[in-house]
Amino acid sequence: MNEAYRYFLIFLGALLIYNILLIRFIALCPLIGVSTQVETSIGMAMSVLFVMTMATTASWVAWNYILEPLGVGEFLYIPVFILIIASLVQFTEMFIKKVSPPLYRAMGIYLPLITTNCAVLAAATEAVKPGFLKLNVAYHFSLPEALIYTIGVALGFGLVLIVFACIRERLETSPVPHAFKGAPIAFIIAACLSLAFMGFANLLGL
Amino acid sequence: MSLVWKAALALGALAFFFGVLLAIAYLRFKVETDPRLDELLEAVLGSNCGACGYPGCEPACEAVLAGEAGVDVCVAGGQKCAEAVARIMGVEASMGERGVALVHCQGGLAESAPKAVYHGIDSCAAADKIAGGFKACDYGCLGLGTCKSVCPVNAITIDEDRRRQVDRDRCTGCGLCVDVCPRSLIELVPRDQQVLVMCNSADKGAKAKKVCSVCCIACKKCEKACEFDAIKVVDNCARIDFEKCTQCGKCIEVCPTDVLVRVEPTAAQRKKSKAPTAA
Repeated sequence: MNEAYRYFLIFLGALLIYNILLIRFIALCPLIGVSTQVETSIGMAMSVLFVMTMATTASWVAWNYILEPLGVGEFLYIPVFILIIASLVQFTEMFIKKVSPPLYRAMGIYLPLITTNCAVLAAATEAVKPGFLKLNVAYHFSLPEALIYTIGVALGFGLVLIVFACIRERLETSPVPHAFKGAPIAFIIAACLSLAFMGFANLLGL
Repeated sequence: MSLVWKAALALGALAFFFGVLLAIAYLRFKVETDPRLDELLEAVLGSNCGACGYPGCEPACEAVLAGEAGVDVCVAGGQKCAEAVARIMGVEASMGERGVALVHCQGGLAESAPKAVYHGIDSCAAADKIAGGFKACDYGCLGLGTCKSVCPVNAITIDEDRRRQVDRDRCTGCGLCVDVCPRSLIELVPRDQQVLVMCNSADKGAKAKKVCSVCCIACKKCEKACEFDAIKVVDNCARIDFEKCTQCGKCIEVCPTDVLVRVEPTAAQRKKSKAPTAA
């Protein structure tokens, strides 16, 4: 398997085949919570892409240069990764507030929410911890591979979130039976989308 | 070195590193904000409930500073928060602007006899849809408490005779009850308005009298008694023009069916009217 094809498979697997929202059903709360308007879902998707990439980079460094040499990664990875994510989000928030107030206003609300987003922790863990991911491409990612994987996950998250928001905006004007209004119909739509995404299974042998 | 020490070292070192990083970032990237913002954040409830329509307490407080939102922005906090916010912003608390809910009906089961027995679910909307409601009066309150169930501050109470009462001190004027009443009986009236019409019937006098003992019979006595041209009978029911009304109460004296009432002033008003005499 040549290098470029390998990267492509990792990216595709993270983006579509093992889509974090619709195939693995991680991070359901933003899927339901911030998908009522396309505009806010785009803001959320961008913020997640940004935070996930940073979190994976920092987690990768922490794992390979601190946890692994000390042999404590096996049981310490969750607290360490959470610490990294929370600190980075705080840091980013302060940085953006100072450097670019318009960007802060656009992303500001979502940044603190992302701190506790399970998708960020999931992406960081899968990209960094060997053996955690069941993709049969590679078990121990190098830093570029980990980054490509994370960007794939984040783009997959964004893609589904925005598609879902578009559908929900149209649902607003549709004659939905009273009992199904709001979250119930959203879950049914999510299930239908999930079925559609299952069609990607076994694509390119992944 | 045992595993425990290694774990403590790794986590401790990372925590220290990020702690220092955040401390430096705090000092270095500090943005000068209006000092009142922090005070405002203390003054509102601070649970980020979103009831005010802003995505959190901080955006809401920023809106207050920008003058986009009133001091009563914290809906959940009610009067207390509004006063605290007003103190910081240096203005008068103005809960009065939001009005207070008034149910335009005072007929319970005793005053207005039901024409049928209703055994459905406790929802005014459902009861109203079945053959025009179980009440003989087509306009009056059904008293099943849909408004009570949506009230976030429990300001509406309903007694066993299905007469409803609005606690004017508690009501924050959010208007949720106005939207849910299937008979559109609830209106937000100015908080300092004490003379009120407690009926919404559009039936002609004789018919209205037949179905309810406390209804407006459109006799127009109040219209004639009013010296300020503030009360008018429109569609067989008296309506008060709050801008013209001086709350003299002459209309209450002449009303033959006691549809016009004078309500107690709210606590905030009692405080306000007492203050000048004390000073």
